[in-house]
Amino acid sequence: MPLYVEKKPEVLITEEGVRTDGRKPYEMRPVRMTVGILDKADGSAFVEWGGNKILAAVFGPREVHPKHLTLPDRALVRARYNMAPFSTPERKRPGPDRRSVELSKVIREALKPAIFVENYPGSVIDVFIEVLRSDAGTRVAGVNAASLALANAGIAMRGLVAACAVGRVGDFVICDPNHDEDMWGDADMPMAMLMESEKITLLQTDGPMTEDQFREALKLGRNAIRFLYEMQKEALKRPYQVIERSVRGAV
Amino acid sequence: MSDSVVLVKNREVVIPGQPLARGRFKLGRDVYRDESGIIRAKKLGLADIKDDTISVVPLSGVYIPREGDIVIGIVSRISGSTIMVDIRSPYQGVIPIPRGRATERVDMRKYNLKMGDVILAKVKAFDGSSSLLLTIDMEGLGKLEGGYLLEVEPAKVPRVIGKRQSMLTILKEKTHSDIIVGNNGRIWVRSPSLKELLALEKALKKIETESHVSGLSDRVSSLLSEELSR
Repeated sequence: MPLYVEKKPEVLITEEGVRTDGRKPYEMRPVRMTVGILDKADGSAFVEWGGNKILAAVFGPREVHPKHLTLPDRALVRARYNMAPFSTPERKRPGPDRRSVELSKVIREALKPAIFVENYPGSVIDVFIEVLRSDAGTRVAGVNAASLALANAGIAMRGLVAACAVGRVGDFVICDPNHDEDMWGDADMPMAMLMESEKITLLQTDGPMTEDQFREALKLGRNAIRFLYEMQKEALKRPYQVIERSVRGAV
Repeated sequence: MSDSVVLVKNREVVIPGQPLARGRFKLGRDVYRDESGIIRAKKLGLADIKDDTISVVPLSGVYIPREGDIVIGIVSRISGSTIMVDIRSPYQGVIPIPRGRATERVDMRKYNLKMGDVILAKVKAFDGSSSLLLTIDMEGLGKLEGGYLLEVEPAKVPRVIGKRQSMLTILKEKTHSDIIVGNNGRIWVRSPSLKELLALEKALKKIETESHVSGLSDRVSSLLSEELSR
């Protein structure tokens, strides 16, 4: 008998389009991004998004271990998505599972096109994404955090990668599904975009959508991602502005 | 479309992918031109516009060796004919131990190293990926003794040295210390007493965190005066 029983809400979305947490279909949960919070990592970022708390750390470019994985003409990019045992309502068995292996792969592939891997031949760039608290949409929050951590590490990139999930509940296309919508909604579509060219580097879909709904979802996702990109820019520049202000204030 | 536009202010903090300029400019370091001809930043850094060259001065990042660089390394392994040296980079440095006839023209006492020794070396050859050849076979290079090893981020090394060594001169004169700055961000210091060393450490920290705000030399100078007058 599980200690925690999930309960499906009676209505996921009202006819007027009010969601279980009071949001409108196109609204996002509150997001906060902080950069450079880990001392020992070359780059790091912390993203809080709704109930998600996600930490990303980047090490490298550094020497490849084990040696035989070395690529002579470019950098190897490795990503690990991991959920803490205490990140879910019930304890999650620690260690990689089917889901986290898949997410590690899609996150790595979402980030890789942004990195100038040819600038660091024979080295490795390690990206670690630790989910401390999960509340739907951890993979896209992880992509946002990892992209910030890469920039913070001073790695040569074509541009940042920003990500957001969209979905469908009944006839409504919704932005940034919450836990209930993720569990009982009709469709869920995480997506990531390389911001310099606005090319999509991650697109998964779980659940049926009509062609029109898909187009609408894509458009909604793109707009949400553009908004998140502005937050990323601000997060990256903020520490430097804070120092500049304190220095100027002291003079 | 007009032919040449600069889209950022000089010395502005820019992020990877940020458009810097469009049109006829030369590409400096850490920038690239995208398919539509816009010059964009590769790294988080400060935009640097000099005449018709656009570059980005990175604010962080690991040390990537270049031929001719002077680096401070730590001996990590000695195996038969080679000495492996850690230089805080994705690539390990290698110093071959001279053999046969070559031993006649070099000072073999220099190669009498053990693990953990700190050495000053020069990058002799680097193929960009795996083979990083160092040398200590030159006047002034070799084992460093009787001092302290400090570290700054490799990206901040140009700021520790300053224009025409201006910053380094301030540091040296104010603290009456011998300072050797390696391109890899390791700094060897021999100072008259602990007081100067601690002041220097604070000054380096200040350079590291405030390098993007102008007037750095003056602030470092006054910090050192204050610390040393105590």
